[in-house]
Amino acid sequence: MPYRLTRAEEEQESSDRYPLGRRQSSEEYVKSQLERNVFTGKLSDVLNSAVNWGRKNSLWPYNFGLSCCYVEMTTAFTSPHDIARFGSEVIRASPRQADFMVIAGTCFIKMAPVIQQLYDQMLEPKWVISMGSCANSGGMYDIYSVVQGVDKFLPVDVYVAGCPPRPEAFLQALQLLQDSIQEERRPLSWVVGDQGVYKAEMGSQREQKRSQRIEATELRTPDKL
Amino acid sequence: MSTDALDRHAPAQSGIDRALGLLDGFREHIEHVQPTLTGLPVLWVRRERIVEILRHLKAPPASFSMLYDLSAVDERLRAHRDGLPAADFTVFYHLLSVDRNEDLIIKVALTGGDPNLPSVTRVFANANWYEREIWDLFGITATGHPHLQRLLMPPTWHGHPLRKDYPARATEFDPYTLTVEGQQTEQEALKFEPEAWGMQRERDGSEFMFLNLGPNHPSAHGAFRIVLQLDGEEIIDCVPDIGYHHRGAEKMAERQTWHSFIPYTDRIDYTGGVMNNLPYVLAVEKLAGIEVPDRVKTVRVMMAEMFRISSHLLFLGTYLQDLGAMSPVFYSFTDRQRAYKVIEGITGFRMHPAWYRIGGLAQDLPVGWQQLVQEFLDWMPPRLREYELAMMKNALVRERTRHVAAFTTTEALEWGVTGPNLRATGCNFDLRKQRPYSGYENFDFEVPLGQHGDVFDRGQLRIEEMRQSLRIIQQCVDHMPAGDYKADHPLTTPPPRERMLQHIETLITHFLQVSWGPVLKPGESLQMVEATKGINSYYLTSDGNNMSYRTRIRTPSFPHLQQIPSLMRGGFVPDMIAHLGSIDFVMADVDR
Repeated sequence: MPYRLTRAEEEQESSDRYPLGRRQSSEEYVKSQLERNVFTGKLSDVLNSAVNWGRKNSLWPYNFGLSCCYVEMTTAFTSPHDIARFGSEVIRASPRQADFMVIAGTCFIKMAPVIQQLYDQMLEPKWVISMGSCANSGGMYDIYSVVQGVDKFLPVDVYVAGCPPRPEAFLQALQLLQDSIQEERRPLSWVVGDQGVYKAEMGSQREQKRSQRIEATELRTPDKL
Repeated sequence: MSTDALDRHAPAQSGIDRALGLLDGFREHIEHVQPTLTGLPVLWVRRERIVEILRHLKAPPASFSMLYDLSAVDERLRAHRDGLPAADFTVFYHLLSVDRNEDLIIKVALTGGDPNLPSVTRVFANANWYEREIWDLFGITATGHPHLQRLLMPPTWHGHPLRKDYPARATEFDPYTLTVEGQQTEQEALKFEPEAWGMQRERDGSEFMFLNLGPNHPSAHGAFRIVLQLDGEEIIDCVPDIGYHHRGAEKMAERQTWHSFIPYTDRIDYTGGVMNNLPYVLAVEKLAGIEVPDRVKTVRVMMAEMFRISSHLLFLGTYLQDLGAMSPVFYSFTDRQRAYKVIEGITGFRMHPAWYRIGGLAQDLPVGWQQLVQEFLDWMPPRLREYELAMMKNALVRERTRHVAAFTTTEALEWGVTGPNLRATGCNFDLRKQRPYSGYENFDFEVPLGQHGDVFDRGQLRIEEMRQSLRIIQQCVDHMPAGDYKADHPLTTPPPRERMLQHIETLITHFLQVSWGPVLKPGESLQMVEATKGINSYYLTSDGNNMSYRTRIRTPSFPHLQQIPSLMRGGFVPDMIAHLGSIDFVMADVDR
């Protein structure tokens, strides 16, 4: 499987742009080391998948909301949608205790440095879900005060379309994040193997579901319930 | 001008006479009496005497006790200014008298490159933020203002976005980047300096603690920041900081067509859905001279009340959660899911249906809507009873909220507080009764009132308001008028489909009206409605184009937040959290 590798920079320049870190396409590092030690390779596979399984099933969200999308995100937390089914009901009010941050709403120029600060305060491993059109690209707000997509300064793992997305869409995004975490390769220890973070390139749902989508030829008319 | 248009001016005439009578001593300072479609008297006065004039109008006999709105217009590119005094910028003051249920708009013309006028903060306390806003967005200086700094834009910002020569689109600027150095600069600029606000760092040798609550805090309901000066648990002073949710909706209106701005209104008070469409389309219909059929009026009322319930349910859950009760939010969101079932069934969308149209609705009610709505109407009353029993009659909740953050009607009016928060003080002012719009005069309902204006009353009152909304919706279901869902008018957008299929001419007209948008005659109109959180209004200025020249959106949450420091000085931190929960605000409704 192809991966995207992020390496933390040793030295930081004050002119460096966020997101920090060098990113490049890569093969899994275990593969290249496989010839050297077959046994370690297999053990790390087992270890990686066990650790990832644990990580993906207890993702603690950071209680962070910006606009309308936050209301739909909160709806996903409450009983009719029940996010506890996916192990993510432990909402943390402090970024230091949270595993992932949902940018639920419009990212404002006045708010961007605050978001960056909060993201920096989260501990690794951490992930970002961009929820809704505003966070994805600025959406319908191509206006002086709005950053045209939170990925201008944060590394985003999952994008959710919609204005706002339904709670179900948010739950699907959470499951996609879980799938992606299962494939991740992170350092198992500070002395074992490569120290980079390898994230799987999962491909967009839009491409994957295209054939299924164009199969629909008749849509329901709006004059009936 | 047609006779029809003249008639629409008529109701204001008696008001103009009364307003001129009240300003008898200032006759020589009145420059112009402007005819508008706002239904209110609009007087232009000279800048030099504005403070005296407002002070005179606030005192009896005029008794305009509330500064309802204050904003500005950049007049420099306006083509149709027939008879108006020469101006580069206009500042307007919208005064409201609750006792006499009467309004008055005072305008001041400003010319020259450095527009300025005297600050009126000494007359109306709530002019403070409004004057900072016009400095921030228009670059108009209010001389004598105690703290004239940016309000909505970051302190490091350059330029005044609502000026006509300021670009609107983010894509007209260089793409946004954030560097490590820039991040440090911005963080530094956000640092709170107590001296800048005239605050002491210590008293009698002991230091105060400055607590920075927000811009992201679980009980701040969005991106809202308030800096507290604390002596132990006691709040000595506090400074709210807003603008973390400024989406430039007013600038947006100057580039979207009259029609395509409708979806932006949904996102102003984002828990209010189509309730936000209502003042906007009513104001546009005033400009266009459209009278909508009774069915349209009734459906609009029904859906707006559905959203009032849904918004109040969100309020109830978060209000009690802020007090420390974890489970109510699960109950109230279950009910909201039921409400969304109805809303989605009828409009096809959950939060932002953008379902009202200029001169009608997006479509007619679907087959079987009655049963859908009735199910909700039958579901809710027992739930409301349960909420009252389990929460509002709960001794803990009562002890926690009684006499906390209480304010009187006079204080409320001074700060521009409207809606349920005003009625919780016992003031009977509900626009649905006082100035019925969209057919509210035909409904039988009561206006619940509070007594003490405290956190408890604000919660209890909203439960009662939901009951009244259910009553209104029941009457809609029982007596829904038959008829068309669109007005038969040339400016109805999109036009009725039958009109376009006659011949090529009608097809071209239809195409233009959908793509280019309707062109409205020059004029000014205003519509206020009793929205979920208070009085929301749209003040539209048309320059004879397919988009608005200036759209002023007056939102209720803005003054509600401005009131916080006057109320919380001497209070405790947990009481402030309870107060924040009880005023029911969303940041988009503050910063727009």
